[in-house]
Amino acid sequence: MSDGILKMLEVDNLAVTYGSGRLINHAVKKVSFQVEQGEAYGLVGESGSGKSTILRAICGLAPVSGGTMRLNGAPVTSPRDQNFHRSVQMVFQDPYGSLHPRHTVDRVLSEPMAIHGLDSRNDRIVQALAEVGLGPTFRFRFPHQLSGGQRQRVAIARALILEPKLLLLDEPTSALDASVQAEILNLLDDLRRKRGLTYILVSHDLAVVSYLCNRLLVMRNGDAIEELTTDRLREGSASSDYTRTLLSASHGFARRGSHVPNARATG
Amino acid sequence: MSISMESENKTAPLSPVATRQNMREWLLSPEPKSPFQARLGRLYLNWRAFARNPLAMVGLAIIIMLVTTAIFADFIAPTSPVAGGDLRTARLLAPSAQHWFGTDEQARDIFSRIVHGSRITLWIVLLVTIITTPIGLLIGTVSGYFGGWLDSVLMRLTDICLAFPRLVLALALVAALGPGIENAVIAIALTSWPPYARLARAETLTIRKNDYISAIRLQGASDTRIIFRHVVPLCISSVIVRVTLDMAGIILTAAGLGFLGLGAQPPAPEWGLMIAAGRNYLLEHWWVAAMPGLAIFVVSLGFNLLGDGLRDVLDPKAAR
Amino acid sequence: MTAPLLELDGLHVDFHLRSGTVHAVRGLSFTLGRERLGIVGESGSGKSQTGRAILGLTPPPGHVTAKKMTFDGIDLLNANKETWRKLRGRRLTMVMQDPKYSLNPIMTIGDQIMETFRSHVKASRSEARDKAIEMLEAVQIRDPGRVFSLYPHEVSGGMGQRAMIAMMLVTDPDLFIADEITSALDVTVQMEVLHILDELVAERGMGLIFISHDLKLVSSFCDRVLVMYGGRVMEELSASQLGNAQHPYTQGLLKCLPTLDNASRPLPVLTRDPEWLA
Repeated sequence: MSDGILKMLEVDNLAVTYGSGRLINHAVKKVSFQVEQGEAYGLVGESGSGKSTILRAICGLAPVSGGTMRLNGAPVTSPRDQNFHRSVQMVFQDPYGSLHPRHTVDRVLSEPMAIHGLDSRNDRIVQALAEVGLGPTFRFRFPHQLSGGQRQRVAIARALILEPKLLLLDEPTSALDASVQAEILNLLDDLRRKRGLTYILVSHDLAVVSYLCNRLLVMRNGDAIEELTTDRLREGSASSDYTRTLLSASHGFARRGSHVPNARATG
Repeated sequence: MSISMESENKTAPLSPVATRQNMREWLLSPEPKSPFQARLGRLYLNWRAFARNPLAMVGLAIIIMLVTTAIFADFIAPTSPVAGGDLRTARLLAPSAQHWFGTDEQARDIFSRIVHGSRITLWIVLLVTIITTPIGLLIGTVSGYFGGWLDSVLMRLTDICLAFPRLVLALALVAALGPGIENAVIAIALTSWPPYARLARAETLTIRKNDYISAIRLQGASDTRIIFRHVVPLCISSVIVRVTLDMAGIILTAAGLGFLGLGAQPPAPEWGLMIAAGRNYLLEHWWVAAMPGLAIFVVSLGFNLLGDGLRDVLDPKAAR
Repeated sequence: MTAPLLELDGLHVDFHLRSGTVHAVRGLSFTLGRERLGIVGESGSGKSQTGRAILGLTPPPGHVTAKKMTFDGIDLLNANKETWRKLRGRRLTMVMQDPKYSLNPIMTIGDQIMETFRSHVKASRSEARDKAIEMLEAVQIRDPGRVFSLYPHEVSGGMGQRAMIAMMLVTDPDLFIADEITSALDVTVQMEVLHILDELVAERGMGLIFISHDLKLVSSFCDRVLVMYGGRVMEELSASQLGNAQHPYTQGLLKCLPTLDNASRPLPVLTRDPEWLA
């Protein structure tokens, strides 16, 4: 890690807390990590681990109760300014909820350009659609006329139309069929290399994370458990027990006699 | 973007059936080529769904009849609504070929009065809609979107207006500004918007949680843009349905105010006023009150059926 | 040679909508003994509709037709309400994906299990209560007495799913249909739930139909696998033979998944042959 080059994103002791008193929920508890430019960084964990909350906190969509974040060396302001919006964009998990039901694809793609006053909108829209593998016939369709995979492509096109440098991906393929997932993963991988983007990918699926990312952070119940590279993950050499449990679970079901996680419930 | 019918590649002259077929294909195309085509296509599909409901079509027919009658009242009504005939011979005549609905105590043709009264009814409906819908939508969406103290303040304001007794307000306005239809309408409108605000707020609370709102916020959209271009278009259908269903109540309330002399003043052919006047002759000359009553009933029914039909089309969950 | 538990021949499930007819299941046939059958498919393959058709729970405007559909010799196609009441919940049960939606939110877990039991078996309240506690123990819930009085929203997803399994097994059914029962759960919880199901199925000698979109999971859990696409069975194979899958759809489905062992890129994409839908 050379100190001369600025990190794309530095997160330092980030804490996100919802509610207060009896109902207090520490969604994220003092998590720190750094993402280099051009790298793909994964956040892995089960539900309630706080991984999606971190992404939202980065965007300003979740309340930060502690810690700091720096984007390209400069501290992140609250509320986020237009410069931030041009640099950081997000692809959401649910393809059925991330597109406005009454807006056509054309409207979805042209609105961010209208907000930021970009020109040659027509060309940009056509190019954006082509880049995500959708032809011009999709331009004036409504979301209900698109399949899950197509909607997710539109969501990716929308995220990329402002030409951000950092793309946050919140479980972008978990709501899709396996065959569609493969296409979207290929697309994301391709786009990152072509455009030199930086990704932060959130997923519960170790295989997906290991495909797209080079480093990952394992989270559990709001805490950062372990950071490791994909190579080490593939080798199976994780230092924490929890990571090892996740690894063995990802290998599928194995009858008694092979390694079996403790099945006793704790109420 | 221009519509090109020639894109169907038919070179022979088109028969009416073929033209209609082309139009239908164009509207239902799964790959629209312009925003105009996309939107028209959706409208067409909604219209088809609406048209399948016979009762809804009856409601629509009644409303169309109301509007037509109001526009062409001068041509439809055989006589003047305010000039009466001979007070010695033409008073309180029963319905006949000459006077379809009979005559009232001032020897005026009731049918003509009802036809002209439809203008007043339509005027009241339009005014109330134009005043209450924007107010309700705006207050409801702003309240639901921002939450916090703004939400509390606006909702308390809503509660106050909801609790206000309509009749008392109408009386107060009449006392202050003098009697008249406009004042009755203002009284009705000022007390009718709260349910729409509540409805819009409830919808906004659900809409606000969706990812597409987060996405547009993340793209730097201002709150104004989000509320007017993203939230309101989604709330509008349920508010429209609610307004249509409330129309019947508005008409009845206006008639009630007219009945009490707080709205329209004689000799205006307002239906509520006509019922009030016919009250005294109810036993022997029932048609004087019954005919305007029938008119109110039919128009209220029309709005109810229309509203039900709209709800089935616009709110798929309620259609079951 | 035991008689088959379930026989399906030429099952068709059609939905007659205004915009056209959707053929959700097109000519599905298989027999099931007291074994574990997995049905795998993506969304729209017809796998869930198959499960519902077997239980007679196809929602309108769905229409079920088949040459033959029998359960332990009983004709399911023309069964009347009385027959269904004796079969459903008693000898034929189903657990679905999300316990949030399949458990009654206003009844405690224990009460629901008791109700299920007493609606099929004549039992007093205390007998039913004992049986419910016994079932909760069988699904390895450590403090069954406490969980008995909890409401569904007070327990986690994994616990809710175990409670659902307990409820569906309380009458000791012959056939158990599991429709994506682990898809809404975290991966570690999935494994626990599957282990419990595995033991219970083995203990009681039930037939099991395991419906899922996860081919690898199904093949590691079941004896036989049916791969469905577009309402038809593309391939039927025994779980151990998955590596030798013949049909291009099955092969494509296996290859397109990213795995921890294989780092090759890009991921092979499944090309859909329109012939498969013919």
